[in-house]
Amino acid sequence: MGIAEKTVRVQVLGRSGKEFIKGGVEISQDGTVADLKKAIQRQNAKYYPERQRLTLPLEPGQKRPTVLEGGKKLKDYFSNQNPQVVFKDLGPQVAYKTLFFFEYLGPLIIYPIFYFYPQIYSFFGLPTRQVTHPVQTYALYAWCFHYAKREFETFFIHRFSHATSPLANVYRNCAYYWVFGALIAYFVNHPLYTPVSKEQMYIGFAIAAVSQISNFYCHIILKNLRSPDGKGGYQIPSGFLFNYVTCANYMTEIWQWIGFNIATQTLAGYLFLGAAGYIMSVWALQKHKRLRQTFDGKEGRAKYPRRWVIMPPLL
Amino acid sequence: MGVVKVYLCVYNWLLFAGWLQILVSAVKALQQSGPSGVYAAVEKPLQIWQTAALLEVFFPLVFSFLWFLVLRRIVYGIVRSPVMATLPQIGSRIYLTWGILFSFPQVQEHWLVTSLVLSWSITEVIRYSFFALKETFGYTPRFLLWLRYTTFFVMYPTGICSEAGLVFVTLPFMQLSDLYCLRMPNKLNFGFDYYYMSIVALLAYIPGSPGMYTHMIRQRKKALGSKPKAS
Repeated sequence: MGIAEKTVRVQVLGRSGKEFIKGGVEISQDGTVADLKKAIQRQNAKYYPERQRLTLPLEPGQKRPTVLEGGKKLKDYFSNQNPQVVFKDLGPQVAYKTLFFFEYLGPLIIYPIFYFYPQIYSFFGLPTRQVTHPVQTYALYAWCFHYAKREFETFFIHRFSHATSPLANVYRNCAYYWVFGALIAYFVNHPLYTPVSKEQMYIGFAIAAVSQISNFYCHIILKNLRSPDGKGGYQIPSGFLFNYVTCANYMTEIWQWIGFNIATQTLAGYLFLGAAGYIMSVWALQKHKRLRQTFDGKEGRAKYPRRWVIMPPLL
Repeated sequence: MGVVKVYLCVYNWLLFAGWLQILVSAVKALQQSGPSGVYAAVEKPLQIWQTAALLEVFFPLVFSFLWFLVLRRIVYGIVRSPVMATLPQIGSRIYLTWGILFSFPQVQEHWLVTSLVLSWSITEVIRYSFFALKETFGYTPRFLLWLRYTTFFVMYPTGICSEAGLVFVTLPFMQLSDLYCLRMPNKLNFGFDYYYMSIVALLAYIPGSPGMYTHMIRQRKKALGSKPKAS
């Protein structure tokens, strides 16, 4: 440092109110929250920035504290010379790409095992497969294409707003995808599987195919809303189905599973559809609410147009 | 809400009396005919009072689903322990009472039934009298609070081992029977095998039991404080 930089000493407290880092940390007055996190990491190498959640101390009457955003400057949050932040350890973090890679890998590997190794069923005392129905083969293709597409999107399409996710989510998410994947694979490739009519199968797979392509296009649109480092400001999605449905990406995903289930007709598949649909609806409602609150039409901001949330005409 | 308080009062005293009856019958049968006679002596009251406990979970669940906004506030107060902690416990209780003991008479005379009934009834007598006193008089003697949060150190292991043990000894009978099984082929392409489900349930005890045990230890710290009790 050539010219003497004005610095400020930030007090870092734990959530109990006690000082978390003795003496606080010193950073440039012009610094950002990201700089502050790096400074904290210098005091304790265990706490890499993705693991830190910094908030302003809770105001009286406030239920949830204000979270400090990485890109913003300290000056945006603190006017005085004695800034205090509250530190929370989010626990070990895992990159989202890593999380997605593993949770989608399970279905990609487990499903074909039931198709190509029907000997598994003899382990449960079941007869060997006499005939493989066409729908079982097409289902294999549809399923594997779906999860291969997801892997591709994870590494080449999606732009994540948060770089990481807590480690615990790896176990939870993998359990969800892998267990459902195994269940559906077990029943569709079962030696006593009963196929539906040819017409129903074609209709189902047609719906699934159209939905998959639409879903991919939705992901491209979402990708273009964000800049490459994920920093872009919040924007109103538009174009294609987004003009009518806030979470058109979730909608097309749900329709893809509806199509798959119409073609394969298993209770397990419908249960998965129910669970996935429920989870996505919860997310969609949150996103829709956030968009409406951000784009309220006041102070020169755009007003969020009237749109379905996730599934016209239901929601 | 006055109605809720009366309901809770009556409910807890009733369940306390029911489980006391089970405990006394079990001990008497133990003295008179030994472990193999315990189930026959407690079957009916056990089925009644264990199933009645569903009210603790499903009443708030059903109501909060139906009258989501309005009643949810009131209803959360009806069940003291959060649903997620008691659901697995009630689930395993109902499973053992109806899915194992009622469905497979071959295991009713097993000695594990004795340890099961004793573990359950001692725990419930303490738990319901605790809540009953609290609802009626607004106060519970410190000794009862201590009992509630200390007896689990023994009752949980004995209860869990009895439950898992009984499921395990019932497995061969499940394999031979078609009870609760759904066979393929069918239009829904779905099958259900009670034997394999029970194995999965048994495996669930492995991560589940430490979880429930540590949950109780945390509850104990909160209820009794970490400082030793002043005599």
